[in-house]
Amino acid sequence: MASPQSSAEGDEDAKRVGDGCMRFFWRILDLIVGGIFVYAGVLKVLDPAQFANDIDNYKTLPWLVTVRLAFYLPWLEIFCGLALVFRCLYRGGLSILTTLVLVFIGATIAARVRGLDITCGCFGHVSQNWSFPQHMAIDVAILAGLTALWLPSRVQRAAS
Amino acid sequence: MKFRGFREATVLIALAAILAISEGIYFRDKISWQSPIPASELVTVDQARAWGDGAIWVDARPDEEFAQDHVPGALSLNEDRWNELLPQFLPNWSPEKRVVVYCSAESCNAARDVAKRLRDEAQIKDVFVLQGGWEEWLKKK
Repeated sequence: MASPQSSAEGDEDAKRVGDGCMRFFWRILDLIVGGIFVYAGVLKVLDPAQFANDIDNYKTLPWLVTVRLAFYLPWLEIFCGLALVFRCLYRGGLSILTTLVLVFIGATIAARVRGLDITCGCFGHVSQNWSFPQHMAIDVAILAGLTALWLPSRVQRAAS
Repeated sequence: MKFRGFREATVLIALAAILAISEGIYFRDKISWQSPIPASELVTVDQARAWGDGAIWVDARPDEEFAQDHVPGALSLNEDRWNELLPQFLPNWSPEKRVVVYCSAESCNAARDVAKRLRDEAQIKDVFVLQGGWEEWLKKK
């Protein structure tokens, strides 16, 4: 029969292994979500004119604003994605990316309601032929990933 | 600690702005800043008509709209059936001819997108987008 002391040590070991697994899981999630935004940003940086056309398809902003956003948003995605990958400026990157995805989901739904046949252009040519449900599924999956990263203990750990 | 997220977000926003401005300077002559289509790539109904047989009209609207009515002699070339329609269009084109692409109205993007693909994929240089599209053509009919 195990003594109370060895039982407590066993519990601590199990807890350490559990914590290690969770840390590994969160780190992988950081890399996946951050990597997605870096990839999406790089594709758009390479062809700002195409991205400007994609934003213009939503018919919500004047061209003068659209073309400036087409230069700005990809870099914001890249830096915020890198913030998650390297866990530097983590909380700021997470805040911005969550806001961007929420705005994008809202704009996509609004465009759909207005009957616009839009190309999201989120991942360059890869996403050009995605249907509305495919767009939404990807967006919601990314939002779910970002929301998971917001878990308080996680953010505190990254911030410390 | 309270404003840490805000400060970090500000740093990221500023970093992105620096790179975006640099890229904007690099691309300043390669993008249209005033309108989605540069003025040099737009053509009015009157100008396009004046080109007569020297112009090929391309209808970028969906098949159903093309079937209902279209500019006399226009060829249908939309993105939905691009791979199928492009080979039918190419034999009608020759280097001395100008291509005039139109879609439903001023606000539609199909003409701009088809014109871009004709330039990029078919390597056709003289491609113009009809100002006001089909609506404008009907007005001046």
